[in-house]
Amino acid sequence: MPEQTRIEKIKYGLLKTIDVSGFKVFDPVVRLFFGEEPQKQVKDITRYMLMPILFVCCCLVIWNFVAPRHKTKSGEVPTPEQVWSALKVNDTLHNRENEKESDFTLSDKERDERIKEVEILIAKKEEESKKLKEDLTTIDAEVTKKKDESLAPLKAKYTELKAAHKEARAERAAEAQKMADAVAEKKSGTEDLLTLLRQSNKTKELEKEKEQVVKDQIAKINDDKPKVLQNAKMASDSVATEVQHLKKRLDYLTSGNRSMKVGKAKESATTALTKLESAQSSAEILAAAKTVVKSEERADKIAKQEYPRASTIWFQMWRSLFTVFIGFMMAAVVAIPVGIMCGLNRVAMACLTPIISIFKPVSPVVWLLIFQIVVGAFFPNPETHPFFLFLNSLPIVGRLNSNPALIFSACTVAMCALWPALVNTALGVSSVENDHINVAKVLRLGLWSRLTKIIIPSSLPLVFAGLRISLGVGWMVLIAAEALSSSEGLGKYVWDQYQNGSSLTFANILLACFVIGIIGFILDRIMIVLQRAVSFDDGAATV
Amino acid sequence: MLAITENHNQAFSGSVRHFAYWYSDCLLGESRRLFVTPPLRPKPITKISIPQLLELKLQSHFSNQRSVFKLLLPLLSFITALLVIGLSNSFGIIADPVASAAKPATQQLDVEKDELKFGFIKLTDCAPIVVAKEKGFFEDEGLQVEVIAQPNWKQLLDNVINGELDGAHMLSGQPIAATIGFGTKAHIVTAYTLDLNGNGITVSNDIWAKMVENDPELDTPTPKHPISAKALKPVVQEMLDEGKKLQMGMVFPVSTHNYEIRYWLASSGIHPGMYTSEDIKGFADAEVELSVTPPPQMPATMEAGTISSYCVGEPWNQQAVSKAIGVPVTTNYDIWKNNPEKVFGVTKAWADENPTTHVAVVKALMRAGKWLDETDESGKLVNREEACRLLAKPNYVGADFDVIKNSMTGFFYFQKSDKREMPDFNVFFKYQASYPWYSDGVWFLTQMRRWGQITEPKPAEWYDQTAKSVYMPSVYKAAAKMLLDEGHITEADVPWDTDGYRPATTDFIDGIEYDGKKPLEYLTKHTIGNKD
Repeated sequence: MPEQTRIEKIKYGLLKTIDVSGFKVFDPVVRLFFGEEPQKQVKDITRYMLMPILFVCCCLVIWNFVAPRHKTKSGEVPTPEQVWSALKVNDTLHNRENEKESDFTLSDKERDERIKEVEILIAKKEEESKKLKEDLTTIDAEVTKKKDESLAPLKAKYTELKAAHKEARAERAAEAQKMADAVAEKKSGTEDLLTLLRQSNKTKELEKEKEQVVKDQIAKINDDKPKVLQNAKMASDSVATEVQHLKKRLDYLTSGNRSMKVGKAKESATTALTKLESAQSSAEILAAAKTVVKSEERADKIAKQEYPRASTIWFQMWRSLFTVFIGFMMAAVVAIPVGIMCGLNRVAMACLTPIISIFKPVSPVVWLLIFQIVVGAFFPNPETHPFFLFLNSLPIVGRLNSNPALIFSACTVAMCALWPALVNTALGVSSVENDHINVAKVLRLGLWSRLTKIIIPSSLPLVFAGLRISLGVGWMVLIAAEALSSSEGLGKYVWDQYQNGSSLTFANILLACFVIGIIGFILDRIMIVLQRAVSFDDGAATV
Repeated sequence: MLAITENHNQAFSGSVRHFAYWYSDCLLGESRRLFVTPPLRPKPITKISIPQLLELKLQSHFSNQRSVFKLLLPLLSFITALLVIGLSNSFGIIADPVASAAKPATQQLDVEKDELKFGFIKLTDCAPIVVAKEKGFFEDEGLQVEVIAQPNWKQLLDNVINGELDGAHMLSGQPIAATIGFGTKAHIVTAYTLDLNGNGITVSNDIWAKMVENDPELDTPTPKHPISAKALKPVVQEMLDEGKKLQMGMVFPVSTHNYEIRYWLASSGIHPGMYTSEDIKGFADAEVELSVTPPPQMPATMEAGTISSYCVGEPWNQQAVSKAIGVPVTTNYDIWKNNPEKVFGVTKAWADENPTTHVAVVKALMRAGKWLDETDESGKLVNREEACRLLAKPNYVGADFDVIKNSMTGFFYFQKSDKREMPDFNVFFKYQASYPWYSDGVWFLTQMRRWGQITEPKPAEWYDQTAKSVYMPSVYKAAAKMLLDEGHITEADVPWDTDGYRPATTDFIDGIEYDGKKPLEYLTKHTIGNKD
């Protein structure tokens, strides 16, 4: 029946897609959906889907349990919930930049409306902030009071202890003095004095320990920050920051607004123009004319101005992706031809072997420093360098603000990603079946057709396997390179967060860890799809 | 009107593209702009066509040819700029009708370059740059400024030299050292001192416990200040006897911190080591070893045990208190009252090419400094809390608001139980702090000579000449004059008739007098270090 075949077609199409994209786990779901051997599929689903999900949940629960119990000097290890809220905070920061950008570019009626909106918001938030601040002061006072109450007896105990110990120390000193006198007068031996001193040193240590115990208790109470206070602080802080943000927005809507600035410049141009018309002497005319031109130029310039965005995690993510793409492309462009050459010619292989074996294990950090010096020499004045002007004038890429640091990072990625691709290509080319080569010989194919018709097609699966490893290595290397070269990107994000040392630092670093991991995973999947698309057999890697 | 056209546009353009736009919007938020261009997007500024590009190249080619003109160009443009300002002022063109009621108007200079990139290190004393950006002082001067965090002082300097940055928040010693060629050689100049004071010396809890043991007077929650390094000397000696040297951290070989911690140690008879032509790490004869660590990593490095004491700017001393890993023992306010700390540095080449821009930048920075030091009638700093909130943003200093607030609002925590009032811990503008004093430059030169970074003895005139080649009071005065005319500052804020040397002072921890005009005599007054 035609209908059935169509369903079959959809089914096998889906199965093929799943297979090619490497998501074989979903295979039983599709089969179950089409009613094929339900029992087997349900078993497979429980085994290969539900169990992993359960396991991941288990990990999350363990994480959630362990994290708050491990105290570090920079605070507790963040729980999954805190990492999630860090994501939200980062997203807010990103959205705030968006808001400011849109405020900056608004004009006319829309701007007036927006001003009203923001003003209302400010009034509301300021009220809230005031209330929260009051709450905070009352809570703070309460907490300090409580703290003082519990500290008072301890402090008294400490002073008491110290006074007692001081007295005891003085007594011992007097005794020692007495004994020393006795020794001097030859009334007794030195032995007693020595034991006394030894004893007194030991007691001193003990006394110190006692004091330390009380001191530690005091410090512990001092260190203790009750959750109520912390929460109140955080709430008041976040609203205050929001108020500041809104005020900045108002700035961008009024005096800092692009259309306003353009208007001002144009206005001054018109005033200058009237001045020019009424001017009498040649000097006046010249001066007025110059001002007109200047104001016009300024108006044009301002009209083209864009909002200077602060970099946020999502911007940095796109920039990292762009960098790794450039680096990966550079690696592929070098590795594939050189690899083919090595695969075809044993002498070439022998020549390159020492170079490959020496440079392959070099750390990306070293490469980065080398590239900073070597490649840096090509960009003596990066801002006016044609290459960067060109890159930054491109439609999508232009927004990423390419600079030399990006190129250094990309070169480092390329240098480290080069080797797996090169070695795999060489291997792929050299392991083309002899039969195929013989056929080519019999057909008397030229070098070019031999390359394009036989060698490259049959080595493609291995080439792509190499490229896949390269991309993985490149992505890993990139993060380190960005951190070191301070090229805007996820690497710099992590490094900045570490340097900030704020209470959100740890959660943000964990967040970056997940973002980097997920992107790496997606990149890998893309490479798998490509690899599968060029393979003739099913034997290529799946995971 | 605009809304209508936009709807119109949406209705008639391809539905597929709009679906993609909407969909990516859902998925990615704002970042979709990288993939799908939304309707009616303004063009990016940097869009330059190839012919334009060629033209640019040609222009630069020609200007290379006429090098005489190139030399005259800055002068000419400066004169034209002044002319234009004068004219526009007399025409009353630039007066802002809206703002003039609320605040004094700013006249925009005709700057050579209006998109600038400034670097900074995550320290609270970068505040003038951040405030000038966030409060719109740069924009008032017609400048679009991007402020970029740098990982360490070395890279910051390199980025300024290679043109990646236009200017940066620098250690006072950096322009001087670069100019005389200690470390990276490049002629760096400065026309603005960002702040005074602001550093502290922190020791680990362990060392502090030993210091307390050596000096029982310290054993109170609020010990008497200034604390000298006398209590530390036995600790150093004990370690030397064990064949170890106490490890300390500072941020850069030519940083204020290095000279301050050396001064503090040497004033109590601890030898911090000399730089020689072979020993560029400065360990010769050292009783304690001072090594370089970037400021933000100080607390972590001390926690890891690599160093047991450090000298660094804020908020990294307060961070040690809040994490309970160390105790700040002294601040540089106690070592030298009102000492110069950071400057705003640019290369000489940049200053020559962009003289008017330089003036505009200094104007904005001065307004920021003034804003930061504004007080109410009772002497309370009114704007600091807002400044702290700005600095706490992750793309600036990024530390917790509370931690930054600790030192910025006129207080300093020496221990959790020891909060003291220090209104002058961060000085940005008062005491004529932001003026580029020659005497400050000479002091740094004497310290470089004292510790052997300058390997040869130099004549007294050399100190004066070097300071004069680095500090540019002329730019500062030009900016100040304009601000005075605009009513942003008062006559008393700026030392108009000074010869650039502050009067001799004895405000040091050891009471030794420093007179910038007598550098060689000053060197002979110390017991440790080079004396010529």
